[in-house]
Amino acid sequence: MSASEMNASEMNSVAVVNQARAMVYRLLSSLFAKEVDHQLLHELTGEQAQAFLAQLASEPAFKQDIDTLISVLNTLKTDKALLELAADYCGLFLVGTKHSASPYASLYLNETGSETPLFGEQHQQMVQFLKQSQLQVQTSFPEPADHIAVILAYAEHICLNSGDAEQLKFIESYLNTWLGNFAAKVTQCDTGTFYSALARLTQSWVTSDLEGLSQTTH
Amino acid sequence: MKWIINIWRTLTKPAKFLTLGSVSISAFLMGIIFWGGFNTALEATNTEEFCISCHSMESMPYKELQETVHWSNHSGVRATCPDCHVPHNWSRKIARKMEASHDVWGWMLQTVNTPEKFEEKRLEMASREWKRFDRDNSLACKNCHNYDSMKWESMSKLAQKQMKRAAELDQSCIDCHKGIAHKLPDMGTSRAPELIAQVGSGESAPQVEQTYFSALTKPLYFNEKTDVEAGTLNIATKVKVLETKGNRVKIGIDGWRKKIGAGRVIYFDFGLNILSAQLSKDAALEEGVMEVFEEKEDPLTGLKWQRVEAKIWTDKDYLVTDLQPLWDYARETYSTSCSVCHTQPAEAHFDANTWPGMFQGMIAFVNMDQDTQALVQKYLQEHSSTFDKSAH
Amino acid sequence: MKRRDFLKGLVSTSYVVLSGASVLAPLNALAAAGAKKDDGWLTTGSHFGAFKMKRKNGVIDQVIPFDSDKYPSDMINGVKGLVYNPSRVRYPMVRLDFLLNGHKSNTSQRGDFRFVRVTWDKALHLLKDSLDEVQTKYGPSGLHAGQTGWRATGQLHSCTSHMQRAIGMHGNFVKKIGDYSTGAGQTILPYILGSTEVYAQGTSWSLILEESDTIILWSNDPYKNLQVGWNAETHESYAYLAQLKEKVKQGKIRVISIDPVVTKTQKYLGCEQLYVNPQTDVALMLGIAHEMVTKNLHDTKFIEGYSLGFDQFLPYLMGESDGVAKTPEWASEITSVSPEIIRDLAKVMTKGRTQMLMGWCIQRQQHGEQPYWMAAVLATMIGQIGLPGGGISYGHHYSSIGVPSSGAAAPGAFPRNLDEDQKPIFDSNDFKGASSTIPVARWIDSILEPGKTIDANGSKVTFPDIKMMVFSGNNPWNHHQDRNRMKQAFHKLECVVSIDVNWTATCRFSDIVLPACTTFERNDIDIYGSYANRGLLAMQKMVEPLYESLSDFEIFTRFAAVLGKEKEYTRGMSEKDWLVKLYNDCKAANAGKFEMPDFEGFWKEGYVYFGEGKPWTRHADFREDPEINPLGTPSGLIEIFSRKIAQYGYDDCPGHPTWMEKAERSHGGPGSNKFPVWMQSCHPDKRLHSQMCESAEFRETYAVKGREPVYMSPADAKQRGIKSGDIVRVFNDRGQLLAGAVVSNNYPQGVIRIQEGAWYGPVGADGSKEGGAKVGALCSYGDPNTLTMDIGTSKLAQACSAYTCLVDFEKYKGKVPEVSSFSGPIETQI
Repeated sequence: MSASEMNASEMNSVAVVNQARAMVYRLLSSLFAKEVDHQLLHELTGEQAQAFLAQLASEPAFKQDIDTLISVLNTLKTDKALLELAADYCGLFLVGTKHSASPYASLYLNETGSETPLFGEQHQQMVQFLKQSQLQVQTSFPEPADHIAVILAYAEHICLNSGDAEQLKFIESYLNTWLGNFAAKVTQCDTGTFYSALARLTQSWVTSDLEGLSQTTH
Repeated sequence: MKWIINIWRTLTKPAKFLTLGSVSISAFLMGIIFWGGFNTALEATNTEEFCISCHSMESMPYKELQETVHWSNHSGVRATCPDCHVPHNWSRKIARKMEASHDVWGWMLQTVNTPEKFEEKRLEMASREWKRFDRDNSLACKNCHNYDSMKWESMSKLAQKQMKRAAELDQSCIDCHKGIAHKLPDMGTSRAPELIAQVGSGESAPQVEQTYFSALTKPLYFNEKTDVEAGTLNIATKVKVLETKGNRVKIGIDGWRKKIGAGRVIYFDFGLNILSAQLSKDAALEEGVMEVFEEKEDPLTGLKWQRVEAKIWTDKDYLVTDLQPLWDYARETYSTSCSVCHTQPAEAHFDANTWPGMFQGMIAFVNMDQDTQALVQKYLQEHSSTFDKSAH
Repeated sequence: MKRRDFLKGLVSTSYVVLSGASVLAPLNALAAAGAKKDDGWLTTGSHFGAFKMKRKNGVIDQVIPFDSDKYPSDMINGVKGLVYNPSRVRYPMVRLDFLLNGHKSNTSQRGDFRFVRVTWDKALHLLKDSLDEVQTKYGPSGLHAGQTGWRATGQLHSCTSHMQRAIGMHGNFVKKIGDYSTGAGQTILPYILGSTEVYAQGTSWSLILEESDTIILWSNDPYKNLQVGWNAETHESYAYLAQLKEKVKQGKIRVISIDPVVTKTQKYLGCEQLYVNPQTDVALMLGIAHEMVTKNLHDTKFIEGYSLGFDQFLPYLMGESDGVAKTPEWASEITSVSPEIIRDLAKVMTKGRTQMLMGWCIQRQQHGEQPYWMAAVLATMIGQIGLPGGGISYGHHYSSIGVPSSGAAAPGAFPRNLDEDQKPIFDSNDFKGASSTIPVARWIDSILEPGKTIDANGSKVTFPDIKMMVFSGNNPWNHHQDRNRMKQAFHKLECVVSIDVNWTATCRFSDIVLPACTTFERNDIDIYGSYANRGLLAMQKMVEPLYESLSDFEIFTRFAAVLGKEKEYTRGMSEKDWLVKLYNDCKAANAGKFEMPDFEGFWKEGYVYFGEGKPWTRHADFREDPEINPLGTPSGLIEIFSRKIAQYGYDDCPGHPTWMEKAERSHGGPGSNKFPVWMQSCHPDKRLHSQMCESAEFRETYAVKGREPVYMSPADAKQRGIKSGDIVRVFNDRGQLLAGAVVSNNYPQGVIRIQEGAWYGPVGADGSKEGGAKVGALCSYGDPNTLTMDIGTSKLAQACSAYTCLVDFEKYKGKVPEVSSFSGPIETQI
């Protein structure tokens, strides 16, 4: 089905769907980009977000992990609890490689594995993608461009700006190829439950999104 | 105060620093008037050409000037050769000066007509100019740069400290600001311009029976006339002036010597390897130079030491009355230079006889001329645990 | 269309879920253009060499040696791996329990627990609060900010200077004296030869090549060690080594390497080896000396004219004082060198011109003062000190020593000390009866036994009660001995702060960890050619500081701002101002002697060349006139017997060089029946100490199964059923480690080598992931200091004794843990 064949309502419907998908990618990107702070917690436990998450949880593949996220979020009543979650985040994503789940595509896609130098090939590729879309990584986010939060944010961007085929190709090649290993590493290394749930949710979301995209493109 | 020299050296580069010297309007006008007057008066003798005829030949001083802020700056004031090198109260002295200068320049014409020859003579020529600046308290500078109109608040804290001190004393600018319009001469390894800038070049007329300290390592002579050296007087050594004749003084150096070799080396005190003076073999054996007193054995080496007093001649310059400025300079140099690679040990961490070994073994990356090295070593020795019993 | 409905349902819940900014931003055209400007080659330098770099899309791409470096080290291939290392310290971090409980935190978790990211502002305030607490509660004796070591190169950003100036503006602290490399040597030699010798310029190689008939490399491997330098190294010594190789081949110079091991240098030169039992060099030297006296080969005239105390040494040598004549036979028993060879050596060394070149390893052992002293005595007996190609050197394997210095003035540095008129906020100098300066290697003793008084170099040192440590660009969890003992000490510390580039073990055992950028992410200047001082190098920034790392200048300027002393700290000058000032000061110091362009010209060119130096002979002036040019010894002469040392009355360092048995010694020595193998932990071939170990790709060029190699003899390997490539457990009563076996004919039975600088990666004692913080942990990578002994060399130097170390080893059959050294803190449940 090409755009010219679509009627206005269908077009509107496609836009709404892509907006929803973008929103999910945005949510996932935000949670991988930094620790949950008071602001983010406030938003995530707000009525709108809860409704959003509840709707997401209506899909059985997502339910268990969303329930975990919600229940952890509900325990974050104190600064200490937030710090503990921040320490989980730090141990997984900020400090190292071997005994953590560094969030860089390159570490999962190269033979040298967890000790691949960063800012390598995958970083360069992402920089090129971003540049083509007139984008760059925020200066306040001083990370290589193959950081999962960047890739998810770019997925958000293309949901709204690119055709399904292009979306499918990007998400398949630049996210799905390593997401499984990443999610497994997070699950293995996480001392808490929040980020392993988030990683698994991301994986099942991407799986389901790719299924959907492949249906629309065939 | 190395930094002050460094700061003024930067004067030669970025133009914005000219405001440091705060060129006052009145001085500016004076310069214009003076310049015009000068040209008119000396047109007949073609002085401008006369300057260049010599200085363009090797072209160095003139070119060097052109690279400095005294040549080009945002206020458009330019200092040219005669501004600095011809006395400003010229109306009275011009005739005599010109005569004298003519001789000098004529002589120079033959002796500095190649860059090599010029470099060779640079120190000598510069020294003559510095002396002249010293005599009139850097009047040529002060015609434009006025202590009273300096803007303290736009100077760094350290610059303020230095400049205010200088202003209080109406100090001669050239004391610190050497080499700003031309390249500094090669001061050799034996002279320490920064040190001298800080402690001065000594009393103009040392008094008999007074004690002084050497501000540099100085040559010793057999008598008041000869150029034959009889040894060296180490830096920061206490001497007593016994007699003065012309540019020379006869001094007495008290100390101890080891009874080895010809006993030519005089040390600060018994058993302490703190160098005061070294005499040549001839001088050490010369009748009347070295008077020997009692003898003691140093239990730490088994060497016999003798108390001595040497009476010998030296130039009357670089003899200062106060030792403290030398120590201040040494302390600061030690703290700055010896912490480049590692934390410098406290002065009192070692004893006087250990310091030379430690110090000499660590100076590979340290920039110190030989005078400064000798001074810092002596400073460390005289502030070592041998003297400072409060050591950790 | 279920999916579509589901997604539409999502939208209906809310349009705006998150207000936070995306990690993406619109492309900034200017920035993009800037990043595209990858220009040409940029110049910079490091301990591993001066080099040039090219970028691709703003990322370091190619690294090639500096033009004048004709013998570059392959270590520059590791540079990219350093910068883009996945275990960079990316953000300021604080150990969670420390953040929650401050100085009352559970310190046993240190080294194995949870960190959280904090802002720079928060981190620097935490640092200030901790310093406040320690200064208020304990005064300056509670703080040790004096453990410093090899920084990265660069005179402006020299990390130890910045740290000590900034911390010094807050308050006073305990400092160190000496260093780990040459602790015993630099303490004993001023008594003997009147200078530390180890860091002094030495006789020029060209003169050695011309004049020497015999060169003795004593425990010395210059071909390995000259790869790295204190400044930007340009490896000029290698040209002379190449000439020496040629002369050896032509039979013009005889080079003898006295060493238990076949060294890299020996192999390169194709020279002879004289095997000696480990730690027995003094006995060998005494045997040689005895033979010289017996055969009257020694230069009595030189001894008389230039030294003191030979008479007091002779009775010991000949056995009159202790009943044991130090004959070649006596020495042979201890050293395994035959009496004939010892006799021959005495003859060879006194015939023709003999240059002794001493390495540093043999002074990093118990009684490490003695081999250096005795070697000086031998050189005195030979009588060629001060002659070109003769005498003794303690530094020709280091930083281009022996390459004539250009004589130019080197640049100064950002000041380490407070300016003259500045005072710290906490200006107390009350160390509560303890010493304000302690011997560098005794800090763990000090933490464990505060108040104890020890002898050190003729005075008494009372250990301060240290509660807080601040490290910057310093990794004592590499260079100090006995990890398990260090852990016990660290449990007693209230606060540990580390500023570094990558997650070193020291960072992991810290509470506050601050990210410094690498030397390639900042502008700086340095000399190149180390001791040759061949020129001045522009160290041009290759890339902006990665993550939230900052330059040392920036880190401590911000910290000074927290103290309200920013302007005092920087003197109101920016980084650029300082760079220009350091350059202009250097230019001024060289005025009239060495032409230097203005700063812009220099920066554009990338370097200033100072020219060649003049060949020079060490101690020639002393030889020419010992009265006018005395040595810095108490007598001014070479002191074969030191009355000064004798009067200290030290049992482990008497008044003349003495053979003393070691606490542990292989080949029949004490402890060898239990742990029969001597482990040498020499300076690494492929690193500068622990710098560069983390560079993964480069590490893989030498690692064995991802572990540090342990080199061993075929005999030892066979006896234990080990072959190259096996994972080996090396152990003694102090600790255990895993390493990868390399079986090599270069090693004799009873000797293994694990190079120091191998990053500590503790895991549980049984190889499990957990328990690395505990005493008894297994090092998963192979840090030899897991096994070494933490004792002073003697009461004189109190230096490190890493080379007095016996171990045993076996093929590892347990659970093989992942290497944990290079992955930041490991989180485990305690």
